[in-house]
Amino acid sequence: MDAGYDVSAFQAVVGDRRLSALDAENRRSGAATRQGGVDATDATLQERIDFGLQEPIVVPERRVDADGSDANPRPADPLDRHVLWTTTDVVMVLDRDGRLLRVSENGSALLGASTAECVGRPWIDAWSLPESRAGIRNALDAARAGRPCRVQAMTGADAPSWWDVAVTPVAGADGRPERILAVSRDITDLKRNEARQTLHMQELAHRVKNTLALVQAVAAQTLRNAVSLEQAGQALDARLVALAHAHDVLVQGAWSSASLSGLVAGAVALHGDGAPGRFAVSGPDVTLDAGHGLTLALMLHELSTNAAKYGALSTAPGQVAISWEVAGPEPEARLRFRWEEIGGPPVAPPTRSGFGTRLIARSLSHDFGGAVSLGFPPTGAVLTLEAPLASVVAA
Amino acid sequence: MEAADTLADAGFTVLEASHADKALKVLENRHDVQVLMTDVDMPQGSMDGFALARLVADRWPTIPVLVVSGMGTPGPYDMPDGARFIPKPYEPNTLVRTLRSFIHRAA
Repeated sequence: MDAGYDVSAFQAVVGDRRLSALDAENRRSGAATRQGGVDATDATLQERIDFGLQEPIVVPERRVDADGSDANPRPADPLDRHVLWTTTDVVMVLDRDGRLLRVSENGSALLGASTAECVGRPWIDAWSLPESRAGIRNALDAARAGRPCRVQAMTGADAPSWWDVAVTPVAGADGRPERILAVSRDITDLKRNEARQTLHMQELAHRVKNTLALVQAVAAQTLRNAVSLEQAGQALDARLVALAHAHDVLVQGAWSSASLSGLVAGAVALHGDGAPGRFAVSGPDVTLDAGHGLTLALMLHELSTNAAKYGALSTAPGQVAISWEVAGPEPEARLRFRWEEIGGPPVAPPTRSGFGTRLIARSLSHDFGGAVSLGFPPTGAVLTLEAPLASVVAA
Repeated sequence: MEAADTLADAGFTVLEASHADKALKVLENRHDVQVLMTDVDMPQGSMDGFALARLVADRWPTIPVLVVSGMGTPGPYDMPDGARFIPKPYEPNTLVRTLRSFIHRAA
């Protein structure tokens, strides 16, 4: 054997699927250089001892594979042994009763004790959790009956480790399972990611549902307060765009929080006409939870829309000052938010209670659980909002 | 807010409360409440909608309870006996129909 490593004899002993794959790979790569079989050597004998097989190996007769490649049994190369025992998987050879005969050096990670301590003891003892124990017991039963079996099981209740375990019968001289090979791969990280992903999906489903409910409410309110279908269509479009922008801010907060500065900046960008000095924004960075973030974004949209139509943003010299502060010591700190229009045309209170004002008067005071006031002094609209900080910031 | 408008349009008299504690106050002060509708998520107040539903079912057994939420389905011990759950978003008609059937049943 030159470039190709023959593991077919090895595979006859072990029968592990991964090794068959390796075997096939080896046969492909070595086909050009390999010249038939090699006689049994001392290495083969050593191999058998390593695997806890005291009887001389008799490899079951095998035929030539369908693809014509040579499938005759061949003794293993010492390198093959090396390959098996240096895998990062935990490799164990058990007797028929499930006692450990041989354990790879990394075995203590699974066994929770030194490998030397565990040799001779039942492997099942390493699995203390009832469910895992049952899974492993079934796999051992299957292997004893000649069937390979794959199972996921957990060790350690305090710092759990998940294992993907392949349990494979190893045929003896009579072709019946004589030993059992157990190859365990640590899939703890994989499991943890899986759990995290499931949680994310549930959370996302929840948020999408809530968002759709909000869109539904916005659409219904828009239609309810519409003077014409055309006006309703335009208003709805603009509201959905405002919501979409607010979602961009939410996405930056992993869908669970929104930066107040970000929301204000979004509204300013959406409604400013590009003229400098239109908005004067000041306030510390406060991170709102998703629900309050969206409500506030809608409110900013309504205020801006109103200002552009009738208020400070409808004339060139008009300005809007948006400011907020956190006042008082924790945990009683309060968020004070203020929207004030100046320099616009003289303002009269709206004659009709539209979505914007209703949103502010009802939703906003409900959601924020604080004092909200929207006034229309002749100098320009003023909104003030004061709420307990703890109830509106992201946890 | 939209639900309140929908129900008002359908002929209900709606008493809005922004969180559970306010809802309990309403129930303590009025004796003509025929049905309670609550969301699960209520950032304000001392309890969520499930806790409110259980409390109301216990204190006012004649008032039927409807819980709505965008958050999946309730767990086995979330809902009191006889209460209904509607996932959000829902069709306004479903809401109106459900509440009407409650009141018919109670009458």
